[in-house]
Amino acid sequence: MTGTGAKFHWRLLQGGEGQGATRAAQNSARAAALPDLPAQIAFCAAAEQSGIDSVLVDLNFAKPDPVALTTALAVRTASLKFIVAARSGLLSPTLLTQQINTVSTLAPGRVSLNIVAGHSPAEQRTYGDFLPHDERYRRTDEFLAICHGLWERSGGVTFSGQYFRTEDAKLNTPFLGDARMPEIFIAGNSDESRRLAERWGTCWMRLADTPASTAAAVAPVLANGVAAGLRLSIIAAPSDEEARRNAASLVAGVARDDGGRERAFVGASDSVSIRQTFDLAESEWLTSCLWTGAVRSHGAPSIALVGGPETVAAGIHEFIRAGVSHFIFSGWPKLDSMLFFGRHILPRVRELEQAVTC
Amino acid sequence: MRTRLRFHWSLSQAGDPSRRARSLDQQSGVPPLAYQIELCRTAEHCGIDSMLMAIGYTRPDPLVLSIALGARTSRIRFMIACRSGLITPTYFVQQINTASTLLPGRICINMVCGHTPHELGYYGDFLEHDERYVRTAEFLAICRDLWTRPEPVTVDGRYYRIEDACVRTPMLAERGDRPEIFVGGNSPQAEDLAAEYGDCLWRFPDSDVVLAPRVRRVVDRGAEVGLLVSLICRPTRTEAADAAGALVGRFGAETRDVHRQFAANSDSTGFRAVYAAAASPSTAWLSRTLWTGAVPFLGAPAIALVGSYAEIAEAILGYREMGVTQFLFVGWPDVSEMQHFADGVKPLLGEAAGQAGSPAPAGIGPAGSLTR
Repeated sequence: MTGTGAKFHWRLLQGGEGQGATRAAQNSARAAALPDLPAQIAFCAAAEQSGIDSVLVDLNFAKPDPVALTTALAVRTASLKFIVAARSGLLSPTLLTQQINTVSTLAPGRVSLNIVAGHSPAEQRTYGDFLPHDERYRRTDEFLAICHGLWERSGGVTFSGQYFRTEDAKLNTPFLGDARMPEIFIAGNSDESRRLAERWGTCWMRLADTPASTAAAVAPVLANGVAAGLRLSIIAAPSDEEARRNAASLVAGVARDDGGRERAFVGASDSVSIRQTFDLAESEWLTSCLWTGAVRSHGAPSIALVGGPETVAAGIHEFIRAGVSHFIFSGWPKLDSMLFFGRHILPRVRELEQAVTC
Repeated sequence: MRTRLRFHWSLSQAGDPSRRARSLDQQSGVPPLAYQIELCRTAEHCGIDSMLMAIGYTRPDPLVLSIALGARTSRIRFMIACRSGLITPTYFVQQINTASTLLPGRICINMVCGHTPHELGYYGDFLEHDERYVRTAEFLAICRDLWTRPEPVTVDGRYYRIEDACVRTPMLAERGDRPEIFVGGNSPQAEDLAAEYGDCLWRFPDSDVVLAPRVRRVVDRGAEVGLLVSLICRPTRTEAADAAGALVGRFGAETRDVHRQFAANSDSTGFRAVYAAAASPSTAWLSRTLWTGAVPFLGAPAIALVGSYAEIAEAILGYREMGVTQFLFVGWPDVSEMQHFADGVKPLLGEAAGQAGSPAPAGIGPAGSLTR
């Protein structure tokens, strides 16, 4: 099963994560700012047993640093991989490479990168990053050029760009993994993010849309030999009806737009993917099983496949046929939804994949 | 009450005592975890306060490595080196705070300004020596605000600009709401930085006549002073001298070239001063116990206290009289040197060393019986 077929990743359980907390509620929780190692180690062990390839470790001001947290979890788990989020405005590309390489020496072959451009100008400014959307991508392009040069290990990296300059840069700590450099997931729905993925990425990670729109959007990156991935959620249950009831109850306690807090977040955001997904949520069902009902209260990544195992597996397989080979999922609660996925949905997806290849 | 002496140890060459004799590009960047864990555990038994986690292109990242070693040890602290030119203060605080939540009370920082312009260029830092200190002062001022002020931090400075910054992940420090801050350097700029933003200045030792007024200058301004120095202590002076001779005996002209090169490239006041002392036969011994003989082979941090247990204890107490309250030792190799220190020297320091650490392991007689 390894090496063939789509790869499935899950968002890491974060501290204090309740059952279906909205984004605003989560960020204000003090517990979200603290690692919860026992729960997170258990989550990682469950992921390993559920056929999950990696967990995504997010980055923002309200959470623990993903590099540090990944290190703590990687040395306490056996085989799970970690997709570490990074932004180009926070540290020198040489230092990021050194940190990622160091993690790789502690957990060889188990670290990859999720390059994110950031989505909230106000939050970026807290880190000292004042660049507008498109320019952040230009800076990230330079950032990744330097990282790549260091990973190539073919001599000192001298680079003179608009945002970064290095002279003869080198690092003695190598990246240890299957390849000379980590897999690089580039997140975003914009043309800038797509071009960045084509240039430096191993996978372009979008937020989910209909399979048809997704197929059209990812065709260019696939043509360039770069993989395509989706972020979305799964709300599954033994039957379609039960899953739909779960979806309804997820948002039953909150106003559809969370008292406007999520709307305000999106309004202040300059992220193309977050805005696109928020707009998509005008219609509650994009397909018979792709649901946007939680997007306006729980955030863009809560666009979800809803249904019983057959329905969700078929929904995933439709995306696979559209060219998607990586999925970063989430669910409510994260652990239970991941276990359900591993037990009831993943085997069906593999069967569907087999049926096509045989 | 006088400040109790505290002792720290460098992790830098755990598992490879010849590390500093190799050219920089030949030094391994893959951490020898098993040796490092052994050294950390030995340090816990020997009453060592923290391990210095150095930073530089030849090494693994100190923050990541500290978290990995912290998972395999129980109480040793990690003094994580950092430079202001590599990372924004907000993200630095987020990383250090996260480390502290994983290792509560076990994280402190060692703010360094770099020693080799060429290497700083690898990281995109092209400022000159004095200006690096100015930038580091601004960096630490912001970090301290993020650690101690309840309200969001806005700064429009010369090197950093941040708006409404707050880091939600808290610093879980041993005491207070910020980590203990060490500052490395021998220059007046380093002294000013330590006095204004730090808790303790790390510097290289020097002859007493040079060192004493410099220590006084910092201590009078409210910061502590600690010495970064190698240690070669044995039951007798003869054994210590033999160990020192054996240490340098195995190196040849090639290693001298490594450090000639290093000295030529460095703009560090401290490194230059130690290399200069080591270059002249008249200053091979800066005092009865302070020896620069290994510096040409192993670099400036190899300036060493060499002597019998009693002599080293006396030297340490002498430095204490001068106002020095902390020591950061380097051993060649580390584990056995640390045990010599803990078993032979520490018991002779009496109340000056306080109750920190574990009692000496069974089987070691009264300290006096080990010295002539």
